[in-house]
Amino acid sequence: MKIIACYSNKGGVGKTATAVNLSYALADAGQRTLLCDLDPQGASSFYFRVKPSKKLTETKFFDDVERFTKSIRGSDYDNLDILPANMTFRDFDVFLSRMKNSRSRLKKALKAVKSDYDVILLDCPPNISTLSENVFSAADGIVVPVIPTTLSQRTFEQLEEFFREHDLPVNKLHAFFSMSQGIKSLHGQTMEEMRKAHKKRFLNTQIAFTSDIERMGVHRAPVIATSPRSAAAVAYRELHDEVMERLGKA
Amino acid sequence: MPFPSVPIFLVPAEALTAFAGATTGKLTKHMTRSEEDMPFALLDTFDETLRQSGMCLLQAGGELTLWTADGEVLTQTGVDQPAGFVADLAEGPVKLALACVPELRSLIPLAQGRLQTAQLALLDKEGKTQARARFHILTPDLGHRIAIAQLQGLRGYDKAFAQLQADLLGAGAVPYADRHPLIALLPEHAPYVAKPDLELEADATVFDTANAIIAAYLPVARQNEQGVVDDIDVEFLHDYRIALRKIRSVVSLFKGVYSDKQTERLKQRFSDLMAPTGRLRDLDVYLLERDFFFDLVPQSLHGGLERMFDMFAAERTVAHQKLAKHLKSKGYATEITKLVSLFEAPKRLHRGPDADSQAHDFASALIWKRYRKICKIAEAIDDQTEDEEVHELRIHCKKLRYLMEFFAPAFPAEEFKSLIKPLKKLQDNLGLFNDYSVQQDSLRAFLDGLGTDDHAGNMQLAQSVGALIAVLHQRQLGERQKVVESFQSFNSPETQQTFRDLFHGGEG
Ligand SMILES: Nc1ncnc2c1ncn2[C@@H]1O[C@H](COP(=O)(O)OP(=O)(O)O)[C@@H](O)[C@H]1O
Ligand SMILES: [Mg+2]
Repeated sequence: MKIIACYSNKGGVGKTATAVNLSYALADAGQRTLLCDLDPQGASSFYFRVKPSKKLTETKFFDDVERFTKSIRGSDYDNLDILPANMTFRDFDVFLSRMKNSRSRLKKALKAVKSDYDVILLDCPPNISTLSENVFSAADGIVVPVIPTTLSQRTFEQLEEFFREHDLPVNKLHAFFSMSQGIKSLHGQTMEEMRKAHKKRFLNTQIAFTSDIERMGVHRAPVIATSPRSAAAVAYRELHDEVMERLGKA
Repeated sequence: MPFPSVPIFLVPAEALTAFAGATTGKLTKHMTRSEEDMPFALLDTFDETLRQSGMCLLQAGGELTLWTADGEVLTQTGVDQPAGFVADLAEGPVKLALACVPELRSLIPLAQGRLQTAQLALLDKEGKTQARARFHILTPDLGHRIAIAQLQGLRGYDKAFAQLQADLLGAGAVPYADRHPLIALLPEHAPYVAKPDLELEADATVFDTANAIIAAYLPVARQNEQGVVDDIDVEFLHDYRIALRKIRSVVSLFKGVYSDKQTERLKQRFSDLMAPTGRLRDLDVYLLERDFFFDLVPQSLHGGLERMFDMFAAERTVAHQKLAKHLKSKGYATEITKLVSLFEAPKRLHRGPDADSQAHDFASALIWKRYRKICKIAEAIDDQTEDEEVHELRIHCKKLRYLMEFFAPAFPAEEFKSLIKPLKKLQDNLGLFNDYSVQQDSLRAFLDGLGTDDHAGNMQLAQSVGALIAVLHQRQLGERQKVVESFQSFNSPETQQTFRDLFHGGEG
């Protein structure tokens, strides 16, 4: 089983859009996938039309195997389940380590309800500082959307810094350019610089700025599902292939 | 993610119309139907192996869909050819699940018509699907329209799923486990049964019993006629012949039931029905033995066998045409119809001196006599005994088996079974002995019948067949050596006691 986090220490960079489409692409490729909506705003739950669960705010939630499995919702798509938002983050690291341990009660309980996932995808909120270290160490890969601006460059460097300081392997970081705009030559320049400065950290795929992705809020479904032939859908599938290839080698 | 098993229901097709757009509580039913319909066929073997194992196989639009007994739904695409043998299907999940279909049986369409598909989703206020169903709507050419519904629950939406089930049941749906689609589509359908269950009164007379058996097996033979004519698979002719052979043995084994003249007359008429089928069945058997024969001789001799089987195959084509023509002839139709009506109203049959005996007593005497005869022959068999004697033993065992099967309803089932099982084992041994011997005879006859025009080819053939005969002879000797032992294990002290108890008042 693999854990993939969509993470950035900045908001509004495309984490949720990525998590929604990446989870869809994974499920579509036959991976039994659980998308955990960790953002209390519940954006990815919203895209899948799943109502945030009200009862998940209690502590010890992840300890309670039954409560946990009961709050999982099947999405409209095969192989894809959602763990809706609105949960406390306390014990989340415990949850992650249990998910990785095949002999844990949690894993056994999931197996019993045929939810032995191949991939767990985390849609992270921007500020999970208390938790981030645990998430980072549990995750097999961290997908980081980066808008090609000078400010984002700084933010990404801070993230790399954090990894080094905490002895976390930076090769878990898989950054990609998000919302890039061809007409802004500044974007092109920044991307070139950043690729040079952070060799190997950046994926080849870019998710350009398109209205198809903006409109996801109207359709309330992954763009790959609603406009499978759109440039955005093709790009997200490429992102999926590239991430999976990298994780396969890891 | 789907629930562990997919619940399947049969729904009256009319019920679906009411579903579209209907709301229950906070959920709305959203229905999408396929634009076009296409031809479908429900496939099974003639004897309905699939239905009997709770499976339902649908072919439509180049795709096979299989519903299994435990609610699984398997599909396999790229199936464009009409039904046939499972072995000829491309590899795939459906083929794997069809392993239960007997090798010799072909899949045939038992119901045909037009298929439409539809999807039903239970949507909440957010437009989220909370449960769904997929429908195969079948409109048969003749029969009732039904839909096979396959429900899918989504994790965390158990209530909606229960709601959907309740709605379907409310609309007259029946769980798949309770009714097979074939039966729902064709309520008049009478499944083929090769061994009809005979229900006999406890005080039935032998005359009634004989007539009942014959009246039950004549339709069995008749039901196989079309399959023989269409050459669907070899089992049609096999079953046809078994039905007639059973009838013939009733006539010959139930001595004194009919008058002598009547007995002779019936024997002749049924033998005449059997006669035209013999050669085709022989050829079917040879061709089925193909792989077995090839395995028996070294590769260097395969060329000759190849030649022989080509000749068999060519002859089979001719033999089949001949039999098909016969079965379609007016003369055959008249004769078989006459026989059917004769046994439907058996008053016209001439009774023999034992016609009014009680079936039970009559059977006991016959079975006991036959059993004693078998013991007598078997006890005399040793290494020196002529093969003829072993053949005799085989024939008596076969007759015993027929008698026991015919009269089974007149005896306690448990004890009967305890006798049939060891008898079957003995018969297997004797059967193989006989098969090897018959195979050698027919191979010799084949060699004798070869023309003289292709000398070189025939030499090659004779060599291969000669080697084959030698191997078969060895095999026959092997079976021959087992006979004494097989008989002893059949005729255990318990078997002896049961025979005495059941058929000879406990004495003997
Ligand atoms: N490639 C893109 N092109 C256009 N709009 C985008 C793109 N990616 C994300 N958006 C939009 O930007 C907003 C923020 O994206 P979101 O994925 O929610 O970011 P985050 O999860 O990082 O806060 C959303 O309205 C989303 O629809
Ligand atoms: Mg977000």
